[in-house]
Formats: sequence, structure tokens, C-alpha cells
Amino acid sequence: MEKGKISSLQMAIMMYPTIVATAILGVPSITAMYAKNDLWLSPILASFIGILTVYIAYKLHKHFPNQTVIQFSEQIMGRLVGKILGFLYLAFYIPVTGGIIRGYGEFIVDSFLVKTPISVVMASMVLLCAFAVLGGLEVLARVAQLFLPAFTIPLIILIFLLSPDFEFKNLFPMFEDGIMPSIKGAIAPSGYFTEFFLMIFLLPFLTDGKKGLKYGMMTVFAVMMTLVVVNLIVFLVLGESTISKVYPLMNVSRSISVGNFFENLESITMAVWILGAFIKISVFYYAAALGTAQWLNLSDYRPVIWPIGILLVEFSFWSFPSGMELGRYDLVNFPFQGLMMQTLIPMLLLVISVVSKRLVKKSKTS
Amino acid sequence: MMRWGAFFATTVIVALIIIFQWPKIKQNSKKDKLAFFMLLLIGWVLSMFDLPNMAGPTTWIEALFKPFGKFMEQ
Repeated sequence: MEKGKISSLQMAIMMYPTIVATAILGVPSITAMYAKNDLWLSPILASFIGILTVYIAYKLHKHFPNQTVIQFSEQIMGRLVGKILGFLYLAFYIPVTGGIIRGYGEFIVDSFLVKTPISVVMASMVLLCAFAVLGGLEVLARVAQLFLPAFTIPLIILIFLLSPDFEFKNLFPMFEDGIMPSIKGAIAPSGYFTEFFLMIFLLPFLTDGKKGLKYGMMTVFAVMMTLVVVNLIVFLVLGESTISKVYPLMNVSRSISVGNFFENLESITMAVWILGAFIKISVFYYAAALGTAQWLNLSDYRPVIWPIGILLVEFSFWSFPSGMELGRYDLVNFPFQGLMMQTLIPMLLLVISVVSKRLVKKSKTS
Repeated sequence: MMRWGAFFATTVIVALIIIFQWPKIKQNSKKDKLAFFMLLLIGWVLSMFDLPNMAGPTTWIEALFKPFGKFMEQ
């Protein structure tokens, strides 16, 4: 099916923008809504879900080294239940990818291309991602490698340019209402951390599979640090008004003015974000295409890439009359749905496969 | 109500996909071809509906996770 091979470092480079890209835009205001000035703690708490998810994905990979979740769920649960479970995963990843594409389109149309129809913005992104996915896993990994500096360096520059505007008193008093607000603020970002389960679609194609766990954990740490830093700089600059902004990182980068020369830097934030969204959508798209092909027992995933592209755009509109509904869905549903599909069900699969292996061993010895 | 624009655009895109992909898919197995055309058909049929204002998988999932959603909206 997939003949390409990637290293675990490449996997980490693909996963980092896959999680961070959409998170840096919306997470600051969502966490601030619940946690107020303690919003820096929420990503740290949420990262525990990421650690757990990576560990489960890696352990499942150890049990079934050459298979993705679509394949080994049939081995663990039997053919019928496994097929149903596989379908549930496709019915999860295809709409979620659609939601990400819609989020991308809403952001671009809201902030920059005000007069362009959103379907054009979204369809052109899907077209681009389809070409990347057609190239296969190795091409995706190299695209991610190529764009990683372009994605991270502007963010670091942004921190330096914003540092004169930091108001450290914004962060105090700490933990005024105890730790509960931070925990509640961690729920939304933990939804992003469950997306680490996508590793299960990449792990079978690693040349150095043993390092998969290490690099997975490093990615979780990198994502956690990025979110903490982004949350901090946004709140240090904007204070309580972070809550009322939809894309607070855009507002803070717009506020930069260094010597009347560096201005309107929100275009940099947008460029960085488009790169990240491109990688994120491509990785999700790849998982959806590979999963569909494996679920249908096809010989290749390339024939289904274009048809799935159409489905992705359609699912991005389905039941979402406007961006508002999507935002609500991402906040009140996705964290729980993501946790169920990407952490709890995999955990159940892992427990069942460990127990059944033990039982087989026991019946052989006795 | 049908959205004719979306329907016609999807029809054109489906036709283009078939025209450009057929030479590559011709040598694939029967199953691959069947999956290719079935998925295109699903996409094409879905384009006939007014998707944004229609209940769909996301609506059902929202109903399923309603208790948790209420907790987030407090």
C-alpha cells in the first residue's frame, strides 16, 4: 500500500505543525475564557493527554508493527466488529478533516480575502493537499521538513518583537480561584493533544520504529511549550481582552510597530498559519485516504484520494451554516469526541490485545 | 432546496476527476475502480442536498456528547 519510508524525526516534524498549526490561533482565547490569567497552565495539564495518547499509540504499534488502527482493530475485535470500528474511525477522521478545512477557510475569508467565496479558498487548499498526498508519505515528510523553519522562525521573531509590550502584572494574582479554572481551560487544548493518535498511521512506515516513542514524546513536549509561550505572549500583551478576540495572535501581531518599519506583521502570522494548516490538512487527508483504502482492502490508496477530496469539502459544510457553529462544535464537542476516538477506544483495544495475548500464552502452557 | 451552483460545480469536478484519473486507474483491480466510482457517486449525490442546513453526522455526535458540552458552556 505505502512503499515509502520515513524516519522517526521526520514523523516528529510532520506531527508538530499538525497539532500546533490550528491550536496557536484559537487556543489562547478559549483557555483564557475559562482560566483567565492562569491560562499558561492549561496546555501543560492538557499535554498529559498527549503523553498518554502517544504511549497508547506506540504500544499498539508494538503489538501490530505493520498495521494501522483500521487493520488491527479487525485482528483484535474480530472481522465484523473490527470493520464497524474501522468505519467509525473513517466517520471520525473525514468530517474532522472537513472541519479543519472549514476553519482554515473561515480564517482566511474573515481576515484577508474578504470578497472571495469560501468554497474557492477551501477547494484550492484541498487541491494542493491532494497533490501532496498523491506524492505519498515521503513527499509529505519532506514538505513538512522544508516548511518547518518557515513555520517556527517567524514565531520566535514575533516573541522578540512583542517583548517590549509585555505587561507582567497581567499574570497576577495567580490562582485566585484555585486550580479548577485552569483544568477546565485544559479541556479544549487536550482535544488537540489527542490528535497525536494520527501517529498510528505513520508508525508502520518508520525506518527506526524503536525511536518512535521518544520522538513522539518530544513532539508532545514541543507542542506543549509552543502553546504555553503563545498563551503567555498573547495574555501579556492583551490581558483580559484576550477572551473577546477570535484570533488573538492576529491582534497582537497587528499591534507590533518597531521604528515605523516593522508593521502589519499579521500577514506573517497568516503566512505561517497557512503553511501549518497545509501540513495539518495533508496529514489528516493522508490518514483518511490510507484508512479508507485499508478499510476497503484496496491495493493502493491513490485511487481514492480525489473522491475523498470532494467528500472533505462537503463534510466541511455539512451541518455548519456558518463559522459560529463550527467554533461551538470545536469547543463543546471535539475535545470529548477526540478523546473517545483517539485515546479511550485505543486504550480499550490495547487492554483487550494484551489480555488476549496473556490468555493465549496461559492456555499454551497449561 | 437544492443549491444549483454547488451541484454543477461538483458535477464538473467529478467529470474532470474521471477524465484525468481514468488512464491511471484503468490498470488497477476491479475493486479499486469500484471504490473510486462509488466514492465519487457518494460525493456527487451529497452535492444535491443543502448540506449546511441539513442534519448530519456532526448533529448526531453533538446530541451524543450533549452532557459534556453543557459542562463546557457553563
